[in-house]
Amino acid sequence: MALTITCPICGKRNGYEFRFGGEEKGPRPEENGLTPEAWCDYVHLNKCVAGVQEEWWFHKDGCGLWFTIQRDTTTNLEAETVSMSKLATENEEAEK
Amino acid sequence: MMNRLNHLPTLKIDTAQKISYTYKGKSYYGVKGDTIASAMFANGVRIFGRSLKYHRPRGLYSLDGECSNTCMQVDGIPNVRCENTLLESGMVIEEQNVKGSAENDMMSFMDKLDWMMPAGFYYDVMHKPAKLWPVAMKQIRKAAGLGKISPDFKMPGKYDEVFLNTDVCIIGGGPAGMMAALSSAEKGLRVILMESRPWLGGFFEYRSAEYKDGQSLHDRATELAALVRAQENIRLFTHTACVGTYNNNLVTGFQIGKKSDVFDQRYVEIRAKSVVAAAGCIERPLLFDNNERPGVMQIACALRMAKTYGQLPGNKAVFSIGHDLGLEAAIELHDLGLTIECVADIREDGQDAVLLKQIAQRKIPLLKGWVAAKAFGRKKVKKVRLSSIDKMMRKTLECDLVVASAGVTPVTGHITVALGTLKYDNHTGCFLPDQMPENMFAAGRVLGLNDAMSIEASGTLAGLKASAACGLGSLEEIEKAAKIVEMLPGPVRGTKLVTAPVKGRKSFICFDEDATIKNIKQALAKGFDVPELIKRFTATGLGPGQGGIPGHNLPLYVAKCQTLPDVSIRPTNVRPPLVPTLISTYAGTNHTMFKTTAMDEMQRKDGGIFRNIGVWQRARYFSEDYACKKEIENVRNNVGMLDGSTLGKFRLHGPDALKALQRVYVSDMSKVKEGRIKYSAMCNDDGCVIDDGVVVKLGENDYYFTTSTGRAGQTIEWIRYHTRYDRWDFSLVNLTDSMGVINLSGPNARKVLEKIVDIDISNEAFGFSDYREFKIADTIPVRAMRLGFVGELSYELHVPASYMQSVWLMLKEAGKPFNIQNFGVEAQNVLRMEKCHIILGQESEQRTNLLDVGLGFLWNRSKSEAKTVGAVALAQAEHDQTRLKLVGFKTENNSRAPRDGALIVDQKVRGYVCTARDSFALNEAVGMALVDADLSKIGTRLEIYEDECGDDRIYGTVVKMPFYDPEGKRMKM
Amino acid sequence: MFSKKKPMWGKKTPLKSSYDVVLIGGGLHSLATAYYLAKEHGITDIAIIEKNYIGFGGAGRNTAIVRANQRTQYNVPLYKEALDLWPVLTKDLDYNLMFNNCGNLNLMHSEAAMKAARMTIATAQFHGVESHLIDAKEAKELVPALNISDDITFPIHGAMFHPPGGVVRHDAVVWGLARAAAEMGVQIHQQTEALDIGTRNGKVTSVTTSRGTINTKQVLISAGGYSAALIYDMLGIKLPISVLTIQAMVTQPLKPVLDHVVSSGAYHCYANQTLKGEIATGAHMDPWPNYTTLNTAHYIKHQAEALSEFLPCLRGVRFMRIWGGLADMTPDMAPIMDGDEQVEGFYMDCGWGYFGFKSCSAVGKYMAEFMATKKCPDILKPFALKRYEEHKLMGETAALVNYSPDN
Ligand SMILES: Cc1cc2nc3c(=O)[nH]c(=O)nc-3n(C[C@H](O)[C@H](O)[C@H](O)COP(=O)(O)OP(=O)(O)OC[C@H]3O[C@@H](n4cnc5c(N)ncnc54)[C@H](O)[C@@H]3O)c2cc1C
Ligand SMILES: [Zn+2]
Repeated sequence: MALTITCPICGKRNGYEFRFGGEEKGPRPEENGLTPEAWCDYVHLNKCVAGVQEEWWFHKDGCGLWFTIQRDTTTNLEAETVSMSKLATENEEAEK
Repeated sequence: MMNRLNHLPTLKIDTAQKISYTYKGKSYYGVKGDTIASAMFANGVRIFGRSLKYHRPRGLYSLDGECSNTCMQVDGIPNVRCENTLLESGMVIEEQNVKGSAENDMMSFMDKLDWMMPAGFYYDVMHKPAKLWPVAMKQIRKAAGLGKISPDFKMPGKYDEVFLNTDVCIIGGGPAGMMAALSSAEKGLRVILMESRPWLGGFFEYRSAEYKDGQSLHDRATELAALVRAQENIRLFTHTACVGTYNNNLVTGFQIGKKSDVFDQRYVEIRAKSVVAAAGCIERPLLFDNNERPGVMQIACALRMAKTYGQLPGNKAVFSIGHDLGLEAAIELHDLGLTIECVADIREDGQDAVLLKQIAQRKIPLLKGWVAAKAFGRKKVKKVRLSSIDKMMRKTLECDLVVASAGVTPVTGHITVALGTLKYDNHTGCFLPDQMPENMFAAGRVLGLNDAMSIEASGTLAGLKASAACGLGSLEEIEKAAKIVEMLPGPVRGTKLVTAPVKGRKSFICFDEDATIKNIKQALAKGFDVPELIKRFTATGLGPGQGGIPGHNLPLYVAKCQTLPDVSIRPTNVRPPLVPTLISTYAGTNHTMFKTTAMDEMQRKDGGIFRNIGVWQRARYFSEDYACKKEIENVRNNVGMLDGSTLGKFRLHGPDALKALQRVYVSDMSKVKEGRIKYSAMCNDDGCVIDDGVVVKLGENDYYFTTSTGRAGQTIEWIRYHTRYDRWDFSLVNLTDSMGVINLSGPNARKVLEKIVDIDISNEAFGFSDYREFKIADTIPVRAMRLGFVGELSYELHVPASYMQSVWLMLKEAGKPFNIQNFGVEAQNVLRMEKCHIILGQESEQRTNLLDVGLGFLWNRSKSEAKTVGAVALAQAEHDQTRLKLVGFKTENNSRAPRDGALIVDQKVRGYVCTARDSFALNEAVGMALVDADLSKIGTRLEIYEDECGDDRIYGTVVKMPFYDPEGKRMKM
Repeated sequence: MFSKKKPMWGKKTPLKSSYDVVLIGGGLHSLATAYYLAKEHGITDIAIIEKNYIGFGGAGRNTAIVRANQRTQYNVPLYKEALDLWPVLTKDLDYNLMFNNCGNLNLMHSEAAMKAARMTIATAQFHGVESHLIDAKEAKELVPALNISDDITFPIHGAMFHPPGGVVRHDAVVWGLARAAAEMGVQIHQQTEALDIGTRNGKVTSVTTSRGTINTKQVLISAGGYSAALIYDMLGIKLPISVLTIQAMVTQPLKPVLDHVVSSGAYHCYANQTLKGEIATGAHMDPWPNYTTLNTAHYIKHQAEALSEFLPCLRGVRFMRIWGGLADMTPDMAPIMDGDEQVEGFYMDCGWGYFGFKSCSAVGKYMAEFMATKKCPDILKPFALKRYEEHKLMGETAALVNYSPDN
């Protein structure tokens, strides 16, 4: 198995340049009134999808970007390379 | 020494150049181009090894190292595959795992005891009575294992590694691989061609049969090889075995160096855009009784011994084959002088007409529908019994060579380990590629092809497909090439015969593990019904040759026993490395990777004793006194200097810089004032402390901060991670390597520093917790902080790394009158411990939160809009009284300090000692410990349990922290 | 002398429409639980549901290292009991589990590591588990192949020596437990996939399999690395688990050269010699979740580099076979054993990472007690899922946690 990951800035690269950063769970929840269950769910709990999941990666030996990809956990192949951050930059450009 | 057949165009040896070697203590000669095995064979060696369980003699079989038959100890290296290893001058060769010799193994009586050793027998015996097992285990260990390695063995040779990118990577330098390489290369693509033999040519190379228009296959191979060599954009790796393929088209191999290379072996890792798998075929072993006696060998083994190494493999031969290659080999070997008593062909019909005619012309007896049933002769083959497939007829012939082969089996490991799939093909009786991995294409005999033209055409086609995967070429071209393949002869029918009509008590399906077909039946009877499980239970295919011998036969045989339909026949798993590979080769050029600070050399000169700490090398001690008495006392009473360059150092600036700080630091960072230092901590989402350090404000939304040495590598990642949804605008710069840090500490620190700076550094002008920027000698910019980690007057000077040595020397010079000294990391550790300043990881563990270590005062809870990392967990755990808390303690009755890591106990474990030392400054033993909250009250007695303490205990009492200078006067002085 | 030629775990039987207990997964933990349910609690109306064949998962892929020198007081007694059970099981199952109590040597490469080891050793000794801190020279005496010179990346300062640990034959455990369980009436259904768990009013009612639905009131999921995904799919319960591929490999067989299990945290590498003479080695994991069980080029090279340094004679030895399996990792390196809590009648036993072999004997015993009595035995209580909500990670790993699974 040879993981490759497509960084929105640097393109398709050797997977060992990156660090995995967890399943995509959305932005940090509001703090006020956050129950221990909800907190735990956000911080610790995973779906452990056997299939395609959206997840975070950091280009540590590269540009230093955090971004998400869709990856099939049963094959280690990227499913789709449109990432959140890429969309974000695209949106930004559109706004300009 | 045997005379070699000298004039064959296919020879790879040069008989004029003799090479000497030693075998079992005696000197022999081989010739240039010999493998170890061919050289030994030329010297009359027929028995190369003995088998694992039954101590049966073993000899040449595949000539490709597919089993351990010819594994030898060479120059102290065990399990060398002699059939694949070129002979080198001066080699010292020994037999492995023999009692006496392989020829006369003293344990050969084991061969008669097979009834005692049914499949998996070791699970059923030797554990009763329980006392027997340890004794038996020793014997098993002694008996098992092949070669020896001495514990102080030093592997000679040079090892290298190379990481390449290419367009097309081709595995296999036979006709298919070469054609593929040529067709890709013609497109202008960069091509890498890997071939495990030292030369190109593969299946054509050693054969004299006609290719076309009177040209021999050998000549055709030579012609293609020349074309390949002439292509500038083909990079050739011969003598490079492919050992692994991975999805995304990563290919690894190892290359054997030539004399002119700078390495003996080299690890090769290639990232390709597309891959062609064209590694050809090996032979499927024929199963009959004593099918592995020395003198029984496969077709290509017999033929290549003659054609490549110039040696007839025997005098009088009987062939038992199931493929035209066997007929062809019989004809060639006959013409080279081998007497052929008979050719038994499993097939009733379907033989190539031309070959049949040639066999007849030579008056070689041919028995169709016959097969070898049993070989006779204890050490070497003396006779063979042939049987008609229907068992009706038998005959026994004398001979010293049995050429036996059930057919061919494609080498598909390169496809399956990259997750391609295979399918059982009824026509060929082989497992052929079904679904190929993305951008991998199969060519040649891997597809079951046998016809020379078809093999080449399939190579061209695969090369075109591989090019298309790189974005070059047209669909029409591919379609055209595919048509050509279609019009040429397809795969030939293969025999399905798995075993000769025998019971199979000594029909070996796996040579390495001495597994017979009888063992397979035993496993089936026990309920092991899947080949993978049978493999495990009988160890079939788990030896040095892995699936090379049993890989194809095992699933066929199991299917036969279970009368399974064809569709459900599944191949057994092939696992990398596809060729056994030396650890030294995989390791390549091993090198240590540690960072050194600018002060490295100077501190070593000063007697620094260095340790690896995280990614750095740091001076831990400056004398052999690991208690560091002098270093410590010099800081307490005078002045010392420590290289703190490994501290993480960062600049964070931009419009949203403060927001980012608020997110990751527990304190209210809006309160950081220019010219002042703020100490704070970062927590993870569990509220556990992960880092502490200081922050200074350089300007509006412009900060400089430090992290602990260990966290520096992850800090940017951490801050960016926790702000990843926010789209805040800030920049983070890691200055860790570009800035050095000198920690100048001790009551005389000011007096030393004064001498080299121009500004007023009096306590009034530059007080405790202040931050100043200034220049030394109008040139060297310094960021100075008044901190007190070690509890004395100290200055932390942050200096560009390039100026570090200068500043260090200036301070040393200025400090001479005070006898300034270095101090190392351990002295600092004790100094700060006396002051109860914590080091994360030392006074904390994974589950320790900010409150547990008494840093709760740093936490500002009125900034929930900042969503500070860890704040929620801290709030939720705040009143939990069952957590471990950090306390300070002194030992009772002046007893020595417990060792770090000692436990605090009563009936249960109640905590542990983080750091404790006999303090020189305090004249008593003090330390910090993490203990259950109910033990954390001042005055509580602690029972300390050290490793190896038996019934002895050390007692301590919880006391107030810090121990040294509780008012903090000294650091504020 | 030899057991009779009948299928070791009974003839293939049809799936019944109901069982007292259904165990999902035919791995070590299910088989051990079934064995003890039948043996100690007389519950034999049990179906083990296995998707492939027994031992397909971690049970057949692990490197079978056993030891009891864990870090915390919650773990040590459990692993101690598990370790003590190997000889007992060998006898009770009448199957040679080939326990080789050769001892484990855990190398330490810094003063800080020595301190950490001392704490672990003190904890072991306090609980009656033999374990000692030894210096580099003593380590070399035990393992002459060790390189204790200073010129390697992580020079060896000393080691934690744990004599009662060692290696057990993993396949034998699977087959021995299966045979014994089957003899007591447990039904092992191979090639049968569990697809869903039916519940009504917060209670387990059934298990749907690829061969039909089973009515039952009690179900255990102990499907190794597959557990977390199954539990989420079937019951919507999320777990603090990340599933990684863990690899292991063996060299070609050698005459005895390594008499102990040697491991090194700094090098991410352990090695021991099997009874067949192969050097079995592993440890490093690619740090991202996946279910591939595929090996990687990076890993083999890493392993070779590590061994080259601390066991340099192995440079002359060849790697022969590499394979992979799943490791379901939790942030605190301790498993999750829980039951009758989220859903009545539902039990789970997962998150074992690479510790699920050494623990399986004792865990089977206590999970059986848990399911039979419906009361959680004290020894299992600290392993409940709730600890994550309560900010009470177990402390099995000393390292600082991070957001990513392995850190
Ligand atoms: C390479 C490697 C090395 C290891 N080394 C060690 C070691 O040295 N020491 C140690 O203690 N541990 C080690 N381990 C860990 C150990 O193997 C596992 O923790 C252990 O096997 C877990 O046991 P289990 O019974 O929970 O699951 P497993 O043994 O994994 O069994 C789970 C079973 O569930 C089945 N299954 C999955 N889904 C379904 C479904 N839907 N329906 C039915 N059945 C299903 C699978 O087919 C599988 O057979 C290692 C693991 C690996 C992979
Ligand atoms: Zn990038």
